[in-house]
Amino acid sequence: MSKKDVLRLPAEQLYKHELDALKKEDKKEDKPAGWQLSPKAVLKYIIGGTAEGVEITPKYIGHDRLVEIAIATLLTDRSLLLIGEPGTAKSWLSENLTAAICGDSNKVIQGTAGTSEEQVKYAWNYAMLLANGPTEQALIKSPVYRAMETGSVARFEEISRCASEVQDALISIMSEKNIAIPELGSEVNAQRGFSIIATANTRDKGVNDMSSALKRRFNIIVLPSPADLETEVAIVQKRVKEIAANYQLKATLPNQEEVEKIVTIFRELRQGATLDNKQKLKAPSGVISTAEAISLLTNSMALAGSFGSGQIAEADLAAGLQGAIVKDEDKDKIVWTEYLENVMKKRGSQWRDLYNNCHEINK
Amino acid sequence: MVESKNFFGVRHLSATTSYNLLQFLEAKKPKCILMEGPSDATDLLLELANKNVIPPVALMAYTTELPIQSVLYPFALYSPEYQATLWAKKNKSNFRLIDLPTEVSLALKTQSDAELAEQQEALVNYRLFHNDLYDQLATLNWETDYESYWERKFEHCLDSQSYQERICYQSQQIRDMVIDTEREADPVSFAHNYLREAYMKRQIEQALLEGFAAEDIVVIVGAYHVSGLLDQNLTALTEKECEQLPKQNALATLMPYSYYRLSSRTGYGAGNKAPYYFELMWQHLVNNNVSDLAANYLSRIGKELREKGFNASTASTIEAVKLAQALSHLKGGQYPVLKDLHDAALTCFGEGQWSKIAEAINHIDIGTNIGSLPKGMSKTPIQKDFYEQINTLKLDEYVSAVDQVLTLDLRENIRVKSQEIAFRDLNRSTFLHQLTVLEIPFAIEKNTYQQNATWSEQWNLRWTTEAEIAIIENSLLGETIAIATAFKLKEQLDHTSKIGMVANIIRQAYNCNLTHLFETAIIRLQAILVETEEITDLAQATFELAKLVQFGDLRQFDLLPLKPILRQLFLRASLLLVDSCNCDQKAADEVTRAIDQLNFVAQEFYEDVDINLWIEQLHKVATRDDLNYGLSGLCLSILLERNLLTEVQCTQEVNRRLSHGVPADLAAAWFEGIARRNKYALLSRVMLWEQLNDYVANLDEQQYMHALVFLRRTFSGFDQAQKNSIVELLSSIWGTDIEVTSEELLSELSEEQTQTLDDLNDFDFDF
Repeated sequence: MSKKDVLRLPAEQLYKHELDALKKEDKKEDKPAGWQLSPKAVLKYIIGGTAEGVEITPKYIGHDRLVEIAIATLLTDRSLLLIGEPGTAKSWLSENLTAAICGDSNKVIQGTAGTSEEQVKYAWNYAMLLANGPTEQALIKSPVYRAMETGSVARFEEISRCASEVQDALISIMSEKNIAIPELGSEVNAQRGFSIIATANTRDKGVNDMSSALKRRFNIIVLPSPADLETEVAIVQKRVKEIAANYQLKATLPNQEEVEKIVTIFRELRQGATLDNKQKLKAPSGVISTAEAISLLTNSMALAGSFGSGQIAEADLAAGLQGAIVKDEDKDKIVWTEYLENVMKKRGSQWRDLYNNCHEINK
Repeated sequence: MVESKNFFGVRHLSATTSYNLLQFLEAKKPKCILMEGPSDATDLLLELANKNVIPPVALMAYTTELPIQSVLYPFALYSPEYQATLWAKKNKSNFRLIDLPTEVSLALKTQSDAELAEQQEALVNYRLFHNDLYDQLATLNWETDYESYWERKFEHCLDSQSYQERICYQSQQIRDMVIDTEREADPVSFAHNYLREAYMKRQIEQALLEGFAAEDIVVIVGAYHVSGLLDQNLTALTEKECEQLPKQNALATLMPYSYYRLSSRTGYGAGNKAPYYFELMWQHLVNNNVSDLAANYLSRIGKELREKGFNASTASTIEAVKLAQALSHLKGGQYPVLKDLHDAALTCFGEGQWSKIAEAINHIDIGTNIGSLPKGMSKTPIQKDFYEQINTLKLDEYVSAVDQVLTLDLRENIRVKSQEIAFRDLNRSTFLHQLTVLEIPFAIEKNTYQQNATWSEQWNLRWTTEAEIAIIENSLLGETIAIATAFKLKEQLDHTSKIGMVANIIRQAYNCNLTHLFETAIIRLQAILVETEEITDLAQATFELAKLVQFGDLRQFDLLPLKPILRQLFLRASLLLVDSCNCDQKAADEVTRAIDQLNFVAQEFYEDVDINLWIEQLHKVATRDDLNYGLSGLCLSILLERNLLTEVQCTQEVNRRLSHGVPADLAAAWFEGIARRNKYALLSRVMLWEQLNDYVANLDEQQYMHALVFLRRTFSGFDQAQKNSIVELLSSIWGTDIEVTSEELLSELSEEQTQTLDDLNDFDFDF
């Protein structure tokens, strides 16, 4: 499979040149067991800088201290739990951390309501099991199992979507650092460097509460929404650029002013007040995250590239906004109408076009 | 000349500075220690070495004339100044402070305050630039803030010599970078600094002249001043120049202090955000086990959290310590700094949420330590006055750490001989009220709910060091408690523009027996009065003054001067009434209270206020249709109560309000207003209930639902006996049997009915 055809590359391949440069620079530094980079190099990979003349793009912007705490946690053999609202880059951060630490972000369990305990520990190849009885060969190892064997980091996405029984399977793994296989009369012990990075969502519907026994075994970091407008604009621009290049979108990138407008609207609706805090607003029922702002802009680019002039028009943005904000037809429509009339309409000529388009669609 | 190796640069309130300073002193064994600090306070500071002194303590200097200026130097256990005095006493070394005397520095402060007002912008820019340098230092070292940078680079450096080299190098670099800009942008501070250094240099030369050998002298100053004092170009002040310095009469005193106060002050040398944390650090420094500080600190946090009922096991503490150490290693540090410890606690104890651990962190960072001084060491005139009054008022037994209740009877005790004893309780009350105004936490007045208790007061008394600190701080306002109180009330009076506040001040002045303030206050009140548009404020003020005049003679003085102003207040409030009643439901609650208050005044002072105008206004509100319906109802009920409506007028009005042209919810709101006050006045009018009955009976379904919400709310304010009367009234109107009616009306609601009513509560009404 050639690189070009993959829809989405894992981080260690997407940023391979950056990781290579960091490894080169990092040669003489001490590295913790199982790590391919020193902690400082991992930090640099996430928050950006330069190494050996190669520019390291920042992967997570605005909360450097949280990244430091995350890395320090992994240094102490503890497991890490990233929680936060949807779209606060939990999975993105976990993928990039594992990519930088062990060069392999693919040992991942994607938690769903249907995830079973076997997927967390191990399962059997039943044909072989029936033919030969329990053997090493018949064993299907879970990503956590493989991470333990190799002393690397496993990821557990959306842990709170799994049923409580399945979540609890992790408790003994994390305290004993081994998995017993009674069928074989053996056990696998974690190599030094083994750790788990889990992510969990605080706001979505249909999530299971995590038991405090499990929470206690994690170091927990809450990822906040971007702290200010500038940070969020920077994040959106960077990701939109990367995604546009990846999907080969034919439209030109949105300009600064357009990104700022979208981010302003999103921030105001999210915090339930205008940016200057002078006016209180009603927040819509759904979550309006940075991730949604990014997908709104890339969607608009796709619209503009395929059916429009190649330049994002206000009408494209307006259509995107309508879809992103009005998720519950009755209540959100009122929220959006109020926002349009009370806030956006009074913002002056720069906002006039966007207002007219939004107003038109929202009728 | 004293050589640079005999200089020691310090940071105030730094544990490691003190630790390294002691090593430095042990190595040098100086015969004479010269330290930064007001030179006239040397003797006071030496008293700190008394073994009964428990830090934190503070040295306060203040001017005795207006405008009052003051400076405060707080010292914790680990302050270099405090440790240096201890060392000097133990080693019988000559110790003196060498900075400008307080009388000069306070006079300079008075001058500079005046000059600073002029060149704000350049000054602000300069200060931003200066602070930015520190932030840049932190950023360049991968730290989030300067405090973390400082702690990692300096507080953890336990070698006296390299510590000294580092701190002096950094301070000199910073100084070189800012000094030219400072001269331009902040010439006052620049000159002030220059003067201080020239004066200190003179003091150093003085010591040399007295015969101390240069190598026997050690100079301890803020690190910033080291390079300034060593500068060859700096010339010492001459005697003549010293005489020309501006002076202002000043006093200085030692006082107990608390870590809480220390943590709430900011600025170099004046405060410390985490005083108790640094005391812990000091203990570990002295015991040579700084490496255990993180474990000690985090265990305390864990214990604190457990006591508050949170889950914080020893296992979590161990993980937190490991995380803090990992964070510190990431920065190349030796031990975790406070920021690392906070973040480790946040991650391991707090599940990422600051709110869970904030209280525990604050508790351990700040600590509850309060200092103490041997009796008599702290002397200010106001303290003397306080203790004299405690003595004459026989309150001595209450100056104890035990909570005690004191009940006062303010009336004259006619069974005793002397005037003094006859009014002792009154005088006590006056004194305690004065303390309350000065925010001295010694006495707290308990609210009494007895009806006839205007002559009786209850106080909770408890003595704390906090109270002593507060008393000393009030010495800035005056030499006696009474003068300070008057000064404070006068200040408040000058700065307020709220009429309720002025009335409140008048009341306080009355309680504190400061009648000479009345005249000023009345003029102020009058000035604000004419500008006030809010009936609620006016009513509040009127009410306060009225109560004062009513019980005035209790405190043995004449309150007649208040009557004209009361009249004026009432007049203006009456005039504003009609306009104020044009408001929505939310504002109506406040206006209701105002009307009640004004009506109280109208009843009690019918001879003094313009009662006719008031009634005229009430009539207007009661009969007009364009005002808030609830308030119209309220005014009508007042008129009913006073029997100022004829039966015909009343019937007409009720008919009109409860007619079908009026929307159901408005009519119900009106009825709610009328039922708000005296309910017996309603119950005695059968005619009114007949009309209400007719009205409700003729409502259609939709209107009935609207009215129901308000009517239910109205009748929830009636008590059981009143409800029974209503039942009687209704059964006579309906011609039904009383018992059957009562059973029907007073029975519990069925589930279906409850559900219907609940649904109504969610109903959105448009007003």
